[in-house]
Amino acid sequence: MPPKRSAEGSSAPTPTKRQRRGLPAQSAGLDNPQYDVPLSDDEPLEDLDLVSDVGDDASSTDNIAADSLIPRGAKLNLSALARKARQYERGARADLVSHMFGDQDFAYLQLKGDHTSRPLWIDPVDGHIILEGFSPIAEQAQDFLVAISEPVSRPSFIHEYKLTAYSLYAAVSVGLETEDIIEVLNRLSKVPLPENVISYIRSCTMSYGKVKLVLKHNKYFVESTHPEILQTLLRDQEIRSARVVPGSGGAYEVANGANGGKTKKLLHSTETGSGKGSKAGTPAPGSGAATPMQKPGQAEADLFTSVVGVDQDEIEEDDENTVSFQIMDDKIDDVKKRCHDLDFPVLEEYDFRNDTVNANLDIDLKPITVIRPYQEKSLSKMFGNGRARSGIIVLPCGAGKTLVGITAACTIKKSTLVLCTSTVSVMQWKQQFMQWSNITDRQISVFTAEQKEKFSGAAGIVVSTYSMVANTRNRSYESQKMMDFLTSREWGFILLDEVHVVPAQMFRRVVTTIKAHAKLGLTATLVREDNKIDDLNYMIGPKLYEANWMDLAAKGHIANVQCAEVWCPMTPEFYREYLREKPRRRMLLYCMNPNKFQACQFLIDYHERRGDKIIVFSDNVFALEAYAKKLSKPFIHGATAQVERMRVLQNFQHNPVVNTIFLSKVGDTSIDLPEATCLIQISSHFGSRRQEAQRLGRILRAKRRNDEGFNAFFYSLVSKDTQEMYYSTKRQQFLIDQGYAFKVITQLEGLHQMSNLVYKTPSEQIELLQSVLIANESALDFSGSDLMGLQGEQGQKARKSAQKYEAKRAVGSLGALSGAQHMSYIERNKTANRQLAREANSNRHKLFKKRDVAKKQANAG
Amino acid sequence: MSGTSQPDQLPPIHSFLTTRPQTTLSRLYARPSACLAVFRLLDDVARQIVMSLLWLDSKTGVDLTAWVSPSETARKHYTAAVLGLVRLHIAKEGSGRILILPAFQAGLRRALTGGGEHRSFGVPYLTAGGKDQMTTEQLDDYALERWESILHFMVSSGSSIGRVPPPSNAVIYLLRRSGLMASIGGERNPDSRITSQGFQFLLEDSHTQLWDLLLQYLAMSEDQGRDLVEVIGFLFMLGSMQLGQEYSTENLSDTQKVMLQDFLDYGLIYRRDPEDHTRFYPTRLATTLTSTSSLAFTSSKHEKAASSEGFIILETNYRLYAYTENPLQIAVLNLFITLHSRFENLVVGRLTRESIKGALANGITADQIISYLTVHAHPMMHKNNPILPVTVQDQIRLWELENNRLQSDNGYLYEDFNSQGDFDLVLSYAKQLDVVLWESREKRKMFVREDGHENVREFIRRRAEAS
Repeated sequence: MPPKRSAEGSSAPTPTKRQRRGLPAQSAGLDNPQYDVPLSDDEPLEDLDLVSDVGDDASSTDNIAADSLIPRGAKLNLSALARKARQYERGARADLVSHMFGDQDFAYLQLKGDHTSRPLWIDPVDGHIILEGFSPIAEQAQDFLVAISEPVSRPSFIHEYKLTAYSLYAAVSVGLETEDIIEVLNRLSKVPLPENVISYIRSCTMSYGKVKLVLKHNKYFVESTHPEILQTLLRDQEIRSARVVPGSGGAYEVANGANGGKTKKLLHSTETGSGKGSKAGTPAPGSGAATPMQKPGQAEADLFTSVVGVDQDEIEEDDENTVSFQIMDDKIDDVKKRCHDLDFPVLEEYDFRNDTVNANLDIDLKPITVIRPYQEKSLSKMFGNGRARSGIIVLPCGAGKTLVGITAACTIKKSTLVLCTSTVSVMQWKQQFMQWSNITDRQISVFTAEQKEKFSGAAGIVVSTYSMVANTRNRSYESQKMMDFLTSREWGFILLDEVHVVPAQMFRRVVTTIKAHAKLGLTATLVREDNKIDDLNYMIGPKLYEANWMDLAAKGHIANVQCAEVWCPMTPEFYREYLREKPRRRMLLYCMNPNKFQACQFLIDYHERRGDKIIVFSDNVFALEAYAKKLSKPFIHGATAQVERMRVLQNFQHNPVVNTIFLSKVGDTSIDLPEATCLIQISSHFGSRRQEAQRLGRILRAKRRNDEGFNAFFYSLVSKDTQEMYYSTKRQQFLIDQGYAFKVITQLEGLHQMSNLVYKTPSEQIELLQSVLIANESALDFSGSDLMGLQGEQGQKARKSAQKYEAKRAVGSLGALSGAQHMSYIERNKTANRQLAREANSNRHKLFKKRDVAKKQANAG
Repeated sequence: MSGTSQPDQLPPIHSFLTTRPQTTLSRLYARPSACLAVFRLLDDVARQIVMSLLWLDSKTGVDLTAWVSPSETARKHYTAAVLGLVRLHIAKEGSGRILILPAFQAGLRRALTGGGEHRSFGVPYLTAGGKDQMTTEQLDDYALERWESILHFMVSSGSSIGRVPPPSNAVIYLLRRSGLMASIGGERNPDSRITSQGFQFLLEDSHTQLWDLLLQYLAMSEDQGRDLVEVIGFLFMLGSMQLGQEYSTENLSDTQKVMLQDFLDYGLIYRRDPEDHTRFYPTRLATTLTSTSSLAFTSSKHEKAASSEGFIILETNYRLYAYTENPLQIAVLNLFITLHSRFENLVVGRLTRESIKGALANGITADQIISYLTVHAHPMMHKNNPILPVTVQDQIRLWELENNRLQSDNGYLYEDFNSQGDFDLVLSYAKQLDVVLWESREKRKMFVREDGHENVREFIRRRAEAS
C-alpha cells in the first residue's frame, strides 16, 4: 500500500499535496502498474552493485559494516553535485570577488522575482538550506525543513539545515512524497531549486520507504508494494540466505488463505491491479489461527540453501498490492543493513490497532496529564498513518521525553519494554509511568540486578537497562529466567531511552534478541564524535522529530540558561609542570589548577548564597574527590554504591543544608534533579559536544524555570593556555548551534576578597601540585575507570572488584576471576549485600548495634 | 558617523580650516557659496547663533548667554559652539559679547538673498533640449562605480589574486601620500599595498572616507603651491550644486579646471564627452559634500536595500549573513570574515579566530570591526539590545587581547651594587617613588621605569657623594 500521508497538515502545506495528486507521479504511484519506471530511470548503479555483490558474496559483508551505512547513491551523488556546480560556475559571470568563494559562489542562481516573500536559499553543492528565521512563513517552513533535513544551526535569525540521505529517508518514512518535497522546497526557495538538488532528492527518496519490515505472529516479514523490489532484494546473496523458504505448500497456502490474501507467482504479480479492495498490509481479524500453521515454515528454515533460482521463488502476498517474504529472526539485522546498502532501507511499521494476537494492555494517560504541543507534534509523526513507525524522537533534556514515551505506550496499548541506561533511571521510569498513566503496580515490573519481577496478566510493562538485556556473559538463574521471559514474548513496543549513549554492539544484541513491533528511541543529542549515530538509523529507524531548543526555552518549556566559560589562568608552578608532563598527566594538571579550584569554590559560594542548588561535574574521579573533599561536599561517582547514591541524591533534593553535589560522568544522563539550578563543570571528556549538551540538560528542567526572570547557570571552568581551551570551544559547538551563547569570564569579581579561599598561599599550591604529580596512573584516567556505563550485574561486579582492588591489591579479585563465574548469582549478591549492610550498620544507633550483636550470638548459639 | 555630529567635534574640513590663517579664511568668505557651505556644516547650536546674529548690524556684539538654559550641558554646548565659531573666524568673542565678523556676515547674507555677479554657485550650462540630460540614477551609478573601484583597488591590493585594474596615477599618488597605501619596494615602483591605516579607512562610511581623501588633496594642493582659497572654494561650490544639472566651466580658474580633471577620477565629476572641457555634471558624491547627513550619498539606488538599512546579521554561533551583492562590501567583509558561500543577494561567512587574527595583523582593531558590524547591522538585529551578540563582541576583543599579552615598558636596569645595604636603600627609595618594575634581591638587580630613572640616579649620586 502507499505510505499514507501524515494526518496532521503541519508537516507540509497541504495545497501542494492536492496539486500534486493529479500528476502522473513517477515516484510512489500506486495506481501505476509500471513500477520499474523509476528504477530504470536511475543511473545503472543498482545493476552494477548487484553484479559485484553476487561475485564476492561473503567478504563484502565484513567491509560494509564500517562505512557503507550511507546509501551508496547518496555518496556518489554529492560528489557529482559538486562537479556539476563547478561546471555551472565556469559559465557564470565571475565578478571581482568570486574568487573568494571558490566553488561556493552561487551568484549565478537567479533570484526569483518575488524572492523577498520566500524564506530560504538552497546551496547546490552540499545541500545546505539557509532559512530566514524572521520570515512570516518561517514557522511553517521550519516544520517542513525539520521533516526533510537535519538542523545544522538554529540561533535567533538565520537557521541552517542540511539535506542528507538520512533526513530524506526520514521524510519519506513519515509519509512525504518525493514530488511534494521538491514542490514545497521550490515554493519556499528564493532561488530556483538547483537541478542537482532535485535529482539528489529524487535519487534518495526513490528507493526509500518502499520496503517494510513487519512483525507478524512472532515472525519477521519483508513487505513491499513493489514486487520487483523484493525480487531485487532476493537476488542478493545475503538476503536470500536469510530468507525462510515456505516449506510444505499446503500449510503455506492455508496460512495465506486465513490471511485473506492469495498466493501467486511473482512473475504474474503485475496483473494484480484487480484484486480485492481489502485493507492493505494488515492481517485480517482472526489471523491468529494462522500462527500455528506457519510454524512448519520456520522449522524448515535450514533448507534455504536449496533455493534454486529467484525467478521461481514464490513470494507471499497479503493482498493485491503487498508482497512479502519471511526472514529468519537472527538475520534481521543483517538483512536490514544489506537493504540499506542496496539503497532500499526498510521501514518498520506496526499496525497495532489490528493486532489481535498480542493481548491489549489496559493503559491510558491519567486525565490530569497534559501533553505539550511539541510532544503532540512529535507523536503525530510517529503515529501519522494510524500505524506505529519506528524511529527516534529528539527532544532537549528536560523537555519531557519520558512523557512522550509514556504517551506512545498508552497509544499502542500492548506489552512494552523500556530500556534505559542505569538503575536510577529504571526507577525513575517506573515512577513516571505510575505518575502519568493509570497503570497499576502489578502491571509494571522492573528487571535490574537487584530486582527481577514479572508483571502479572497477559500484557504489561517491563523496565530494564541495556546492559541487563544485552549481557552475554553468564547470568544468574533468575535473570536467565527473566531473559527467557523477555525473548519468548512478542513485544508491542520497545522504548529506548538515551539512545545516543549505547554502543552499537549492545544495541544490536538488544534489537535482535527482543522481538518488538515498534521501536522508539529517545534522545536529546543525536551527535556522537565517532559518528556512530548513523548506526541508529538502521537499527531503530529514522529521526522522526527534532525540537528547537530556543523555541522551547522561549515558550517556557525548558529553563533559560546563562552559559559562561570561566577562564582560570594556570599558576606558574602548574604551568611549568604542564609543559613538562606527558599529555595524560597534563589533563590532571589543568583540572587541579588552584585557580580553578578557587573559581569553583567562589562560584559554589556565590550561588549557594543566592539559593541555587548546584551540581559540579568532573570526569576525572581523582579531581572529583579532591574537590569534593577539600570543599567538603558530597559526591557520587562510579564506585559509589547504589544505596549511597540514593542517599546523596535524596539529601540534595530535600535537605536544605546540602546544596551542592559533585558528580562524575554517572550524572551526565538520566539523573533527574529538577532542583538543580546551577551547574559547574570542572573537567570533561575532551571535545564531546554530546556530553556538554547532556550536562546542560541537567538544569533545563529546573522546577523554578517559570519564575519571573529565572535563569539557570551553566559554568564551564577552563584553564587558560591549555589544551582545555581547544576542547572547550569544540564542546560548545552543539549548543552554540542551538542558539546558546557562551559568555567568557576572564575574572571573577570579588574572588580574592573571599576569606576562606582554598589554596591561597604558594606553599599550599605546591603541596597540591605534588599530590597531583605523585598521583598514580589510575587517577589520570578520564574515560575508562569511572564505571558509569556499566549497570546491573556487570556494573556491580566491576564496582565490587574495583573496591577490592583498592583495599587489597589483587587477592580479592582473583576469586571472582577464577571459578567464581560458576557461582550462582545469589552468592555474589550476598557479598554486595554484606557491604551495604555494613554501611547501614554504621549508621545505626549504638543501642541497636548492641542488639544486633546479641542477635548474632543467639543465632550462633 | 551619525547624522548629527558631536558638539565638540568639528567636521574634518572645519578642523582643517581652523588651522588656516585669518586672511585665507577672509578671502574664502568672500565667496557666498563657501559661506553657505561652512554654515551648513556647523552644528545646530552654532547655526542658531549665526542666524540670530546674521542680520544684526551691531558693532559691539550681543550677549547671548541669557538665551542659554542654565543647565550644565546646555552651557557646555554653547561655549563649545562659540569657540568653534571663533576658531573659524566667523565670530569674535569679547567679555561675553559675540560679534559676527563682517566678511562672513556679508558672504552669507549674499548667499541667502541671492543676486550679485560672484557666480560662486557655478554657472549652469544651458542646453537647447532636455532630451540628452543625464538622469540622477545614471550619475549615481557612475559615481558609485568610480568611487568603489578605488576602494576595491585598495582592498584587493593586499592579496595576489583578484586584482582590480588600478585607478589613475594621481589617485594612487594621493593614496600613498595619505598613508593609506604604501609602495612595495621603492618609490618608483608602481605596485602599492594597503597599509593598516588603509584597512581602517575601509571600515569608515563613505562620507567620512571622501572627506579624509579630500583633506589629503587639500594638503597636497597646498604643497604644490596652489591657492588654497581657490581649492576649498571650488569644493564648496561643488557642494552647493544641484544634482542632475549640467554646469559650465567658463567661470572657473585654471586651478579649478585642473581640479575638475582630478575629480573625474574619484567620481565627483562626470563629463558626458571626455573631450568636451566646457561642461560637467557634479555627481551625488560632490553635491552631498557639505551635507552633514552621511546617508545622503548612500541612499543611491544600488545600496538602498543594503547599506542605508544595514545588511549584516551576526549570530551567536559566529556565523555571519550579509545581504549584499556589492563586491566592495564583500571584499571589505573578507578582511575579517572567513567567507563560505554566496548567493545572488546573500553572503555567508563565519567569524573565526583566524579571520579576526588576520584582520588584527593588518592593523584593524577589534573596536573597528565591532563598530563596522554595528553600523551595518541588519534591521532585524536592532531588535537585540545590544545589537551584536555580547559573546561575539567579547570574543573579538579577547582575540585582540591575545595579541597584547606582552607589555613592554622602557626603563633602566640597575646592577652591581656594592653591598646589600646599598641595594636595599635604593630599592626602598625607588619603591617610594613607585617606579620599580622588577627586582631581585639575590642578584642585586632592579629595573626602574624610564620616568623614575632621573630621580633614582640622582639619589644614588647623592649617596655616593655623601659617603
